[in-house]
Amino acid sequence: MGKVAVKLKIMPEDPEVDLDALQERLEGSLPEGAKIQGFERDDVAFGLVALLPTVVVPDDAGGSEAVEEAFGGVEGVESIAVESQGRL
Amino acid sequence: MSDKPHQNLAVIGHVDHGKSTMVGRLLFETGSVPEHVIEQYREEAEEKGKGGFEFAYVMDNLAEERERGVTIDIAHQEFDTDEFYFTIVDCPGHRDFVKNMITGASQADNAVLVVAADDGVQPQTQEHVFLARTLGIDELIVAVNKMDLVDYEESRYDQTVEEVKELLQQVRFDTDNASFIPTSAFEGDNVSETSENTSWYDGETLLEALNSLPEPQPPTDAPLRLPIQDVYTISGIGTVPVGRIETGTMSPGDDVSFQPSDVGGEVKTVEMHHEEVPQAGPGDNVGFNVRGIGKDDIRRGDVCGPADDAPSVAETFQAQVVVMQHPSVITAGYTPVFHAHTAQVACTIESIDKKIDPSSGDVAEEDPDFIQSGDAAVVTVRPQKPLSIEPSSEIPELGSFAVRDMGQTIAAGKVLSVDER
Repeated sequence: MGKVAVKLKIMPEDPEVDLDALQERLEGSLPEGAKIQGFERDDVAFGLVALLPTVVVPDDAGGSEAVEEAFGGVEGVESIAVESQGRL
Repeated sequence: MSDKPHQNLAVIGHVDHGKSTMVGRLLFETGSVPEHVIEQYREEAEEKGKGGFEFAYVMDNLAEERERGVTIDIAHQEFDTDEFYFTIVDCPGHRDFVKNMITGASQADNAVLVVAADDGVQPQTQEHVFLARTLGIDELIVAVNKMDLVDYEESRYDQTVEEVKELLQQVRFDTDNASFIPTSAFEGDNVSETSENTSWYDGETLLEALNSLPEPQPPTDAPLRLPIQDVYTISGIGTVPVGRIETGTMSPGDDVSFQPSDVGGEVKTVEMHHEEVPQAGPGDNVGFNVRGIGKDDIRRGDVCGPADDAPSVAETFQAQVVVMQHPSVITAGYTPVFHAHTAQVACTIESIDKKIDPSSGDVAEEDPDFIQSGDAAVVTVRPQKPLSIEPSSEIPELGSFAVRDMGQTIAAGKVLSVDER
């Protein structure tokens, strides 16, 4: 069925959140079947920096929902939005 | 490369109809395959002492490279033609990715629909065409693909074109705005050069059709619409809402209003990439602060717009929807969650006004009792909490939504009209 790369935009709870540690926690929370293919960072405004992981999931039932839910439960995450997606 | 106008191009259609091969072929024909992949091919061909099929080799290796994450942005691929610089997205097949297509940042300007001549229109073809319409795509290039598998027969091409035209009528897509091209992505027919295999066809090649697309106009002239993603309190600054501008522009000094929270004030500073900017426009991710607005006054899902042309808040709205998957039937009173821009609000389908006939695009039934998977319909929707949303004809960026329930995307739709509070 192929694989889909989904780029997510994760906003931290505040500008003080340690992004390296947050990145590790996100990696540790990944559900089975998904993998992270690189992290980007985007300077937003007033010291806020977004983390932009690209997650590869199967082009299959559930979409990127399981990943979004798992990331939503990670300490230090304010919100998750989908930036873009495409089949590999 | 980047001094040409930019086009976001979606490649849509059934997953088995050759979409990835078409993307690969476009990259190959425009010389956009990374040089080292071509080089690698030459080396291996030389070592093994045989030529082989270069395109097939490139396809295999491109996919592998992307999966390993060698390229920087693996969700997109890029190529340029004489006129445009294209960012191309191969749309996922499964319905559960539909929400991302609607709420994601990179909305497509135009689309190539790939339909295999040996398989015709499939349910996924229908869904993708409807989505293209929902996402505000007006021009569609239809590649009737895999012509090699039907011996390049004109009758098979004509048959597929007719099937697609019926489908376009169903979603009220003007067939005059669609162009049809017989292709084989695998063999390279009518992609960059007119094929001798289809001597009965005298229209454009795919690349010519891409070149003749109208230049996308960024929605700068539309009123400001900035859906709020998050609201922060930053020490020394105060309340900072953050989000991506969908339409219009924002500058310090602007008098803005947040809806449905119904508060407003004057914009003090706008920052982008940690720098203060005099103006921000469509697609820009910004943080800003507004005189007199506290953290608890506004929230995610609010839309920021000019005070004198404030975002609409719907008491009810009428929408065209396509039901993609539902275990039983949808009747009046059904209350799933609607995902529109950054808002997620439970909404009741108050009435099902019309069911659309798939073969003609006409109204098949007024006030039907129910709709089910595969149906297109016009419905009236009542948000259970205040929701800011706009008619798709006025601001398409704020006029589409995905409907979710039971962990699935049930339907997608676009707003026809808003009955404001």
